[in-house]
This record gives sequence, structure tokens and C-alpha cells, in this order.
Amino acid sequence: MDQSQTDLSNVRRPIAEANGLPNAHYTDPAVFDEEKHALLYDGWSGLAVAADVPEIGDAVPLNFLGMPLLLIRDRQGQVRVFQNICRHRGMILVDAPRKIEGAIRCPYHSWCYSTEGRLVSTPHVGGPGQNKHDGIDRALLGLMEVRSHIWMGVVWINVSGTAPDFTVANADLLARWAEFDRPLYHGGADSTFKLEVNCNWKLAVENYCESYHLPWVHPGLNSYSRLEDHYHIEQAGLYAGQGTFVYRQIRGEGDEVFPDFEGLSDKWDTAAEYITAFPNVLLGVHRDHTFAIILEPQGPEKTCEHVHLFYATPQTDDDLRARNAKQWKEVFVEDIFVVEGMQRGRHAVSFDGGRFSPAMDGPTHLFHAWVAGRLDHQRAMVQAAE
Amino acid sequence: MKPLEARLLAAHAADDREALVALYTEAADQSDEADARGFFLTHAYVFALELGAPQASALRQRLVEMGREPPLQEVSDKSR
Repeated sequence: MDQSQTDLSNVRRPIAEANGLPNAHYTDPAVFDEEKHALLYDGWSGLAVAADVPEIGDAVPLNFLGMPLLLIRDRQGQVRVFQNICRHRGMILVDAPRKIEGAIRCPYHSWCYSTEGRLVSTPHVGGPGQNKHDGIDRALLGLMEVRSHIWMGVVWINVSGTAPDFTVANADLLARWAEFDRPLYHGGADSTFKLEVNCNWKLAVENYCESYHLPWVHPGLNSYSRLEDHYHIEQAGLYAGQGTFVYRQIRGEGDEVFPDFEGLSDKWDTAAEYITAFPNVLLGVHRDHTFAIILEPQGPEKTCEHVHLFYATPQTDDDLRARNAKQWKEVFVEDIFVVEGMQRGRHAVSFDGGRFSPAMDGPTHLFHAWVAGRLDHQRAMVQAAE
Repeated sequence: MKPLEARLLAAHAADDREALVALYTEAADQSDEADARGFFLTHAYVFALELGAPQASALRQRLVEMGREPPLQEVSDKSR
């Protein structure tokens, strides 16, 4: 083993004997970088929501783990993700959200790209007023596209290009929630918010996956959703989370509710499920709305949580929608002291990753085991290449 | 009317791209020399392309006929 590598041997042991990930996985920039490749670039990570680019030509520059990306809806209406740089001198193409009316023009030497990424103009490339040159094959110099897929309103990307197709990689989860595979309507500006938290992104996943903390951290739930009303969701190597049998719809002053998604089975009358699609998207489904929290890792100890709520119909009651967003924000804010507290705790040098409750921490341990497995795989690949 | 150069500079200062398309086209039309005409047409074309302006295809065709722009293999996108 490389001396700089962390010891993950205990993490993948059975839960009653396992330890959590070592401190370095929450604090060390080198491990953050290792995980960036093994967990976030090699898999299907959440980047944004399709609602960020609602109209043709809408373009939004994004930074994903330091990589400049461009989210755009092309002329055919397809959402695409490109590396946000010109193939000429690597200049950033789009530096603020805007509408691309025709072509994406590089602000440096004005090379132009179609919204599908084709290089369509190379002004003066062969000399003044001469826009072609034998050494410049436009067909080979289109924008560098990042594989992307839309599901649950989220734009998922596979930076490495090596993951199985999204529908293959996530086939089990897609089947589990097939009843929600229908148009989801983003609630709009009042249904999205960001939470900046001082913790490693994995701590947000770990907290989200388990129901163990609910009665302590979210006591407001105790009145109707008790700990025993919850169940674990565990699919090794794929996803983890929790479900409840007693979801209660939010109601307005006049007892109004959101419209249900059509065609749901009876189970969903009172059930709700909360799952992390590994690595970084926290999803929730209910009979009348869904949400997605995209975790944007900004460093070993800093994460931005991008929260988006979706509904079954394009139009919903304004007041009810605002109340629902407020209610969820209160819940998510209640979790901040926990994830930030655990983050500070990761600087205790003797901490061994912690012990799991064999009864209650199964989904969290499953996530740790997935992290360790992916890292072990990457380390083996690196070693084999040497 | 102000001289063309002054109007061009004003359009650049105002980032008025529609005006830039028209003014660079005007500059091309006034040029007797092929390289200068190609230069101005190129600028008119690029700004038209960026805007998705209808003049783009005609400007491009002029450049193609001058041997300064490769002919289109296909036309499937207004940004081409």
C-alpha cells in the first residue's frame, strides 16, 4: 500500500465490526482529490437541474470540482453539458448565464460554436480575412462534451466517460421509482434554495441516508412520523436511504393540497422515500412532490447544497408551494449543526471512523462501503498501471 | 453622417452587435481590395452568426465564393 493512502480495510467489514471512513476522507485535500476521480468523475454525479436552462439557447456556466462546464439547451431542445472552453486557446467561452441567440462566440479570437458544440467559424485562422486552413479541421475541434442524462429533473454527468449508461448504472433505482418516471415540474424560483455548509459532502450523504437521527434532530416529526414508522433502503453498491409509511401531505389554509402524480400505486398514499443516488444526489419522493438536493463539493470541508422541489403539474398554488419550500428548508437547516459538528469532529486525531449501530446505521455503512470499494478499485487500477 | 470608422467604434463601445453586422457589411462593400473585403465580411459574418441573424447565410456565401470560408456540408442549425 502506498504510504500516503488511507487504510480502508475495516470499512468494508460487516457492520457490527466495521469502522467508518478515516478522518483523512473528510479533511485531507489529497484524499479529496482521490475521491474526486474515483467517486465523482467516474460515476454519474448530479450537476444541476434541467430547469436551470428552461428555454432553447439558455446557457449557464458552472464549476464542478474546479472544472469549468457549460450547461446549455441546444436548438433541438436537448440539454447538453460541455467543457466551457474554446478549442483554440482554452479561453472560457461563457462567463455568466445568458441566452445564446445564434452561436457561442469565444470572446478572445471569435471562434464560434453551435449550441450542439460544432465548431462553425474560425475567423482569420488562415490569415486576415481567410477563415480556413488545412491544419484546422473543424470536424475534429468541436466543444468537448461531457456525457449527461436527465432523470428526476436532475442533470447527471459522467466526466470520465467510462461509466455504464445512466439507465444501466441506475437500473435498479429507476425500476424502484418507475412510478415517478413522468414529467416533473420545477416549482420555480420560490422552490429552490442553497445551503452553504462547512462539511465534507459525504457527511451530508451519511446524515441523509439514516432515520436514526430523526427523533433527536427533527423533533417536529415525532408527532406523526415516529422512528418505528421508518425503514432502511439498502442496495449495496448503488444507493441507500430511508422510507416512511406515514407521509402526511402539506395542507393550505383552505385544506387544499398539491395534485398527486398520476397513476401511483396505493403504497404512495402514505409512503415517502428518501434515497441518495451515489455519489452526490439526495432525492425524495412523495405522492404530490419530489425534491433533489445536489451536493456540490467545494473542498474537503465545504459543500453547497442545491435544493430543488418538483410538482406533478406546471401550475401549483403559490402560497402552498412557498410553505412547502419553507417547511423543507427548516428541516434541512436543522441538519446543518450535525454535519458541521461531525466535520469538526474529524479533526480529533484519535477518532477511528466511529462504530455503527448494527440496527440503525445500515444505509450509512452501505455508503461507506461503497466509497471504500470504489477507492480500492481505483487504487488497484493505478497499481496495475505502474 | 459620421464616418464609418467612427460609427464602428461607437457600435463596439455600445456592444451593439446588430449594428456591427450592418457596419462591417458596409465596410466590406466599400472595400476595393479583396483582403480588406474578406476581413470586414468575416467580422460581419461572425457577429451575425453569434446573433443568429438572418444575414449570416448570405454573408457566409460571399465568403465561400471568395474562397475564404469552407462550403457547408449540410445546413441543420441556424447557428451554422
